Amino acid sequence: MATRKGAGSAGLPWAMIPFMKKQIAIVEDEPALRDNYAAALARQGYLIKTYGNRSAAMQAFHTRLPDLAIIDISLEDEAEGGFDLCRELRAASAELPIIFLTARDSELDAVSGLRLGADDFITKDVSLPHLAARVAALFRRIDALRLPANAAEIIRRGALSIDGDKMQTTWNASPVVLSLTEFWIVHALARNPGHVKNRQQLMDAANVVLDDNTITSHIKRVRRKFQQIDPKFDAIQTVYGMGYRWVE
Amino acid sequence: MSIRLQLLIVALSTLVLPWAGCQYARELETALRGSQERSLLASAGTIANALSAQPQRVFHDTADKDLFSAAAGDLYVFPLSTQPLLDGYREDWDIAADPTALPSATGYRARLQAGATEHYLYLYIEVDDRHFDAEPNDPQPDKDRFDRINMTLQNPDGTATAYFFATDAPGLIAAQTLLKSDDGSLRVAVEPRIQAFWLQTAAGYRLEARIPLSFVGRHLWIEAADGSSKGRAGVAADTQGGRLFFATAGLDTLLATFIRDGTRVTVIDDNSLKLGLAGSLNAAPPGEAAQSTWYRYLLGSNSENLPTVSSSPDHMSGEPVRAALEGRAHAQWALSGSARELLLTAAAPIIVDGRTLGAVVLQQAGDQLLALRDDALTRLLNLTLVAIAAAALVMLGFATWISVRLGRLRGAADSAVGNDGKIRLEMPESGRGDEIGALARAFESLLSRLNEHTQYLRTLGGKLSHELRTPLTIVRSSLDNLESEGLRDDQLRYIVRAREGTARLQSILSALGAAARVEESIKQAERVSFDLRALISSAVAAYRDGFPGAQIVLDVPDDACFIRGAPDLMVQLLDKLIENAVDFCPPGGAITVRLGRTPANYSLQVSNDGPLIPEALLGHLFESMFEQRQGRDDKPHFGLGLYIVRLVAEFHGGSAAAANRADGGGVVFTIMLPMI
Repeated sequence: MATRKGAGSAGLPWAMIPFMKKQIAIVEDEPALRDNYAAALARQGYLIKTYGNRSAAMQAFHTRLPDLAIIDISLEDEAEGGFDLCRELRAASAELPIIFLTARDSELDAVSGLRLGADDFITKDVSLPHLAARVAALFRRIDALRLPANAAEIIRRGALSIDGDKMQTTWNASPVVLSLTEFWIVHALARNPGHVKNRQQLMDAANVVLDDNTITSHIKRVRRKFQQIDPKFDAIQTVYGMGYRWVE
Repeated sequence: MSIRLQLLIVALSTLVLPWAGCQYARELETALRGSQERSLLASAGTIANALSAQPQRVFHDTADKDLFSAAAGDLYVFPLSTQPLLDGYREDWDIAADPTALPSATGYRARLQAGATEHYLYLYIEVDDRHFDAEPNDPQPDKDRFDRINMTLQNPDGTATAYFFATDAPGLIAAQTLLKSDDGSLRVAVEPRIQAFWLQTAAGYRLEARIPLSFVGRHLWIEAADGSSKGRAGVAADTQGGRLFFATAGLDTLLATFIRDGTRVTVIDDNSLKLGLAGSLNAAPPGEAAQSTWYRYLLGSNSENLPTVSSSPDHMSGEPVRAALEGRAHAQWALSGSARELLLTAAAPIIVDGRTLGAVVLQQAGDQLLALRDDALTRLLNLTLVAIAAAALVMLGFATWISVRLGRLRGAADSAVGNDGKIRLEMPESGRGDEIGALARAFESLLSRLNEHTQYLRTLGGKLSHELRTPLTIVRSSLDNLESEGLRDDQLRYIVRAREGTARLQSILSALGAAARVEESIKQAERVSFDLRALISSAVAAYRDGFPGAQIVLDVPDDACFIRGAPDLMVQLLDKLIENAVDFCPPGGAITVRLGRTPANYSLQVSNDGPLIPEALLGHLFESMFEQRQGRDDKPHFGLGLYIVRLVAEFHGGSAAAANRADGGGVVFTIMLPMI
């Protein structure tokens, strides 16, 4: 974890590989917040474009797609404008990383956002360094996909294989599409099989502040995603009163 | 008092109907009586006028102004309807009146009654004389002493003849008279046309005599004489008394032409003695009268205070008669006889040449009227009683209906706000157009406003947390940015404090929004069946690791306890209960987790040795955002823990309750969970 955070704040050498600065679009209707995010991310060396509403953002995106989009769900008078924007962006590009950054923390919003194809769903409780780390991690994943696999970063646990660089997970060689939070939960569990991780540890691993119920539903969602590939999947075990552990 | 009872009492007011009916019937009766009085008076007046035109057909002697005096020996001669047998018994006379006592100076007692048929005058004399002195063979009335009845008869021509009745042997005898012989001596001669029957009785003797009317003039003097003593009773001959008052012959027939059925007409002379009568009173059928008596008894009768008249065979009495003889026509209602039958008497004077010679008395029974009234009253009462019963029944039904409706409304109002705080908006009866329906609608609108308010309050936390989150994020992100600008250490100190503040704000906000999130996640939970015992055992093991300072005692059954539900939620429930127990359990105290069985439920009890909870707060512990106790740490407490416990228990179809332990040493939380 420390290494990952370090990578986020240490100038991101892998982000410098393309000659052009990564361009991040922030769509957020709250100007103060928007500028704060923009300032924080700009400090990390990204080129930031900010938009206050969906139409302005979409207009700009027609001209040029950003390298990453951070979207709030409610935009000015459109309560679900972010979802629409996400849908349109996803239609425009299947690979464009999209992060929902919102004050809405309900289970339903998170599920909706992730279903629409967002790569991550972050509540506004996260600190700016955490946000920066998330963004960095997402870029790392994108970049890693373009690089040859580094065997040292690959964790294999039976049918499970986790590529830490590319942030890719496979089960029986079939890719399991996980959001970043889910990826880190699986990563934390699988790195030390048999060890019980309590909810707080999982939250720390995922760099998110969530309540217990949200961790529970994340675990549930992860199980379901694995079970879509292998109905007999039961590698994540609940230890009542303590947390979860990976069993091989 | 229930509405039903109140309405029933109100229904009693309909009893005024039969009362009013009775009042009306009484007034009707009074009016009918008045009209009957007037019509009878008019009839009496008419008859009196007709009779005064021909006084000779009514009165024997219009010149005699002296009044009838029984003491002077005046005698009323009853008209006899049949020819009696001469046998010493007067029962066949068919006269209700007793014989009148003869005046006596010596105390000798004798009684006399007279009657007349068309041709004969009958006399009946009773003498109280226990010693029979028989008549000698050759009686000398002046000298001989024997029991005898002296009778002096004024002949129609004005001369008088003295007779006496005596016998040596009781039986049929003839009157005897003393004839003066040529030599001046008196000899006894028998007058065979005047016959009599001498009957000896235990008390004395009786004599029933028959005298042809052709012998009889205006006067008759009767005297009973005792043979053995000087006892005398009666009036001596040739006094002013001894007048005979006959009923006028042919008057009955004449009167009969004047009257209708049911009316009795009597003509009296100025002595109130009856000169003639015709007609009869119709007696009411006895059954009908008896049937209606209880009504009369119930309602009271306005006949009660009427005067009572008794009838006498020879004379008339009463207020109307008195008034008529004074020259005024008068009518009066009275009760007659022992049967107390209602009788209307109307009397009108018969005035000849300015002098009241007598009166016409008309009598009619009021029984018909009474029967009419009773009949009307009976029908009225029956009808109104049936109507009242029906009305009372209808009212009772109506009241019951209202009661039931109000009861339904009350029940719905009672349970409108459930234990879980949910509000039922539907009220029964709200579809009705009446006041109860309006009440129900008012309840509904009240409840819906209450519900809106409750919803508002319920979501207020979530909304607040949501609304405050953005400004808080601005503050925090600004602090993040500020920190990245590279601050001096003394400046950083303030940043750290600001961060601590925002962190606390953050935790308060997430607690505020947590209730809604918990409810949502509980809604989405999936149910599986799992072993509660295994779950509790493993969880308690974890708590012992997690709270090394606490002493946790586990008490579970030996076999598996399966329930259906969400194990994750159940663990959360345990988490909250244990956290709560750890918070309040004093150092060295024990926390006991016990799983037990009741017939249908598993009971999960978590007790701690912490301070007792005030009774008033016990019911509120499981409410959202309720915080009554100060925990041992400084974390903000928003009472969400026990609310989650309740939500989870209810999700499993169970319930949560808190109580102070019976031993007073702590608090126990009991979760009931239904078995599969």
